[in-house]
Amino acid sequence: MELEKREFTVLVSSVASDSHTWNLVFLQLLLEELGHRVVNIGACVPDDLLIASCVRHRPDLVVISSVNGHGHHDGVRVINELRSHPDLIGTPVVIGGKLGIGGVDNARHTDDLLRAGFDAVFDDSAPIAAFREYVDALGALTAVTA
Amino acid sequence: MSRIAHQVSSAVAFGDFVAEAAAAGRLVVQPRMGFSDPGQMRSGLIATKLADATTVGTITLDSYTRVGADGEARRALAEGVALNGYPIVAHEPSTTAAVVEGLRGRGFPVQIRHGSAHPEPIVAALLGAGFTATEGGPVSYCLPYSRLPLRDSVDNWSRSCELLAAVPDAHLETFGGCMMGQLCPPSLLVAISVLEGIFFRRHGLRSISLSYAQQTDAGQDEDAMRALRRLGREFLDGVQWHVVVYAYMGVYPRTPKGALSLLAGAARLAARTGGARLIVKTVAESSRIPTIAENVAALEHAARAAERAGTAPAGDDDSAVYQEARAIVDAVLDLDPDLGRGLVRAFELGYLDVPYCLHPDNAGRTRGHVDGAGRLAWSRIGALPIGHLVTPPRAEGMTSATLLTALTHVERTFDDERLERTAQMTLTTTTAGTTTAPPSPREHLTSPVTRTVMRVQDKALTAAREYLRDNGFTELLPAVIGPVTDPGGRGSKQVDVDYYGHRYKLMTSAILYKQASLLGFDKMFSIAPNVRLEPPETANTSRHLAEFHQLDVEIAGAKRDDALKVVEELVAAMVDRVVTEMPAELEELGRDKDAFTDLLSGAFGRVTHGAAVADLRGLGHAQSADAEIDWEGEAILSRKSSRPFFITDYPKGSRGFYDREDPAEPGVLRNFDLIAPEGFGELCSGSEREFEYARIVARMRETGENPAKYGWYLQMVREGIPASAGFGIGVQRFVRYLCGLDAVWQASAYPKIPGVVSW
Ligand code: B12
Repeated sequence: MELEKREFTVLVSSVASDSHTWNLVFLQLLLEELGHRVVNIGACVPDDLLIASCVRHRPDLVVISSVNGHGHHDGVRVINELRSHPDLIGTPVVIGGKLGIGGVDNARHTDDLLRAGFDAVFDDSAPIAAFREYVDALGALTAVTA
Repeated sequence: MSRIAHQVSSAVAFGDFVAEAAAAGRLVVQPRMGFSDPGQMRSGLIATKLADATTVGTITLDSYTRVGADGEARRALAEGVALNGYPIVAHEPSTTAAVVEGLRGRGFPVQIRHGSAHPEPIVAALLGAGFTATEGGPVSYCLPYSRLPLRDSVDNWSRSCELLAAVPDAHLETFGGCMMGQLCPPSLLVAISVLEGIFFRRHGLRSISLSYAQQTDAGQDEDAMRALRRLGREFLDGVQWHVVVYAYMGVYPRTPKGALSLLAGAARLAARTGGARLIVKTVAESSRIPTIAENVAALEHAARAAERAGTAPAGDDDSAVYQEARAIVDAVLDLDPDLGRGLVRAFELGYLDVPYCLHPDNAGRTRGHVDGAGRLAWSRIGALPIGHLVTPPRAEGMTSATLLTALTHVERTFDDERLERTAQMTLTTTTAGTTTAPPSPREHLTSPVTRTVMRVQDKALTAAREYLRDNGFTELLPAVIGPVTDPGGRGSKQVDVDYYGHRYKLMTSAILYKQASLLGFDKMFSIAPNVRLEPPETANTSRHLAEFHQLDVEIAGAKRDDALKVVEELVAAMVDRVVTEMPAELEELGRDKDAFTDLLSGAFGRVTHGAAVADLRGLGHAQSADAEIDWEGEAILSRKSSRPFFITDYPKGSRGFYDREDPAEPGVLRNFDLIAPEGFGELCSGSEREFEYARIVARMRETGENPAKYGWYLQMVREGIPASAGFGIGVQRFVRYLCGLDAVWQASAYPKIPGVVSW
């Protein structure tokens, strides 16, 4: 069988405490250029709105972005809630941005976030190519199992 | 400079304080500072108050408090998670009272900055804690900060304005001049700022500030400032008001020099165009919440830049920015006698429409771009009421790459400018990724900058030779190779040469021969080449060269204090000669000769290594007590000082075997470094020397050196050499400091950058 990339739906969101949006605009454009349909639910997204949106849109991938420095704290809370919803246990969910207030030091939050249930963590220091590769690989994987 | 000199006013009220400073011709500078730990918040306010500038204090609130998630803020505090600001609602009122106790008030007003579309709990908390100055706005604290419907934000801000207006001395600043931080043409920012100012006034406020954030072009910014002040005069007559400038609010330069240079531009903008107050940004802006020290450095840097700025020529106060802003303000004011309802309607109609704003109540039909001249321009105006004034070019499609290019325009200009200004550098690939290589011999040696710098070096060395000769020193020509050399270079490698079948070394420093020289000369000096293959990672520190020169001095029978005195006099002699005889050259290099006023007016500062470590730790920098001050720490201390200073008494283990251990205080060395101010870092290292055979051998063993390698030297020491003290001044580093250069390689005629293939 051919491994063909499939267009899938990506839900882009920030977390409840974060109002930055340039990051979201950027990610939306990037994902659209990779050939995917993007639902961008914006900044300051309360946890229940995020869950409701995920349940409604059934995204193939959820991309959470936060740069205000609270991402590591908000991220753990959000992923616990997502993972405790029966429909979202297996949905690929990634987080990225400036996840703490410590600059290069932020990479130390990665393990906690992975342990809490994220499928991948893209710290600010990682090149955006790593994210692109992740999304491409996920596209290929979806094609096989679909 | 005396700190007292900055006490321009003993005013209690925020607006009065700023007005009195403005009348005295001083720009008020203010940080954007906020820490969740009350102790750190207090230290930050103290440091702001003591900074060498006319300051007001800031408490910036964290993101949880801004969105009303006070429970989440409490949970984070309990878990010891550091927040991005001070949670004024979650902390007990008594905690906040303790933060400002004895600090706030006469001569030091403190403003609460937040970013909330439902501000009542915050306003209640700040009033409850005795604060009267804050920031906000129905539009500017909603669209960039919240998904709350604009209508609700207008209601919330109406009530909050009235709460504030009921308090004497209340001051409210609009965030309208910033909005999304970037890519919004200035006229819309000016219009929103003015409209919110009018909103505040109509809700009873009597002391107001209008804001404007620095954008991409200094000339356009000056037009915008004049437009804003003219509109202020037209609409806010009768209330107390001033204009506050924000240092650039978009993607910020990453290099410290780029960041500081952009900040200086904002300070100049404010000073030249009648801005009364400036909110600064720090060198950490692009990456993380800044430390207290970084905030203070930014305040002082901005204050100095403002002092030097002068005033702008009267200029056009009827510019395109004014025309567009006035058209928008008029159209919005005409919509409804109630400005709150008018604002909501204006967004529905697209009379107000902020580029790239995702808020559901923003129409999203406008776009801004950076035009070919570097100015912000409209590419789409949607329904903005400026169609008669603007014909935007056809908007190009937007991709993630073109968006990033537009967003990073300022960052790249300022980061690259620092790299490109003095030499067009080409990129060369080395083992460790990409590093900048120096330009070709022809480019470098014919460059006016190099030629001026070399003449400054020549002048400084001439002055040094004269001073030393007049004081009884003899110049000896240095050795270049020998069987053994100084092991001291941390992390650097020595270069071997084949000397008739023996493995000799290129000198990493002259120390062994300096001590030998004393056998024939009590006071000697050399200008000696050193080769140290520093790790390639140091290529970008701006301060390492693989080949450089030291002005080496050694004095028989001298103690450390004798050496310190010679350093002070020698450095002053060189600086004085250059400042006196080469003012035109310094000016050509953009070097302000006032930078040396403190240096030339007295003794240098002195601090022990232990005290420097404690100082750095106090400022939140994790400095090891057993090592040399690290690069960042040195830069922090260097930036804090206005003249060179000595760090003395390094711990044993951090230096070579020849630095004398204090007989009275084992473990502590009788040595020193001289650190330049302004972030230029170390200029000179020296010490009293070990000279007794047994001690030298013991110290060699302790530092992991094999005494067997040091044949001729140890033989000589065993037979006896004089006690001495001496030092070496890094010639290229010193010239870099004198000329204010970005990187040390620019002070070398034939630069060898670590790890870079060079000519
Ligand atoms: C513009 C800006 C604002 C605007 C935002 C307007 C808006 N609605 O978007 C305004 C002025 C309103 C603002 C407000 C605040 N800001 Co702000 N802001 C910035 C600034 C200057 C630029 C951000 C930007 O536009 N970047 C461009 C976009 C495209 O890139 P990006 O966001 O950096 O994301 C990149 C990567 O991180 C990555 N990425 C991001 N997310 C993800 C996710 C995934 C999955 C992947 C793969 C990659 C990825 O992709 C992007 C492209 O490389 C930055 C500092 C800077 N960078 O210079 C501060 C900054 C992000 N802000 C900061 C803060 C703290 C705030 C405030 C809390 C105020 C405060 N205390 O100072 C509030 C936010 C309130 C809240 N509720 O959260 C801090 C965060 C500190 C930290 N993390 O350590 C910064 C770093 C400034 C600083 N040094 O203090 N801000």
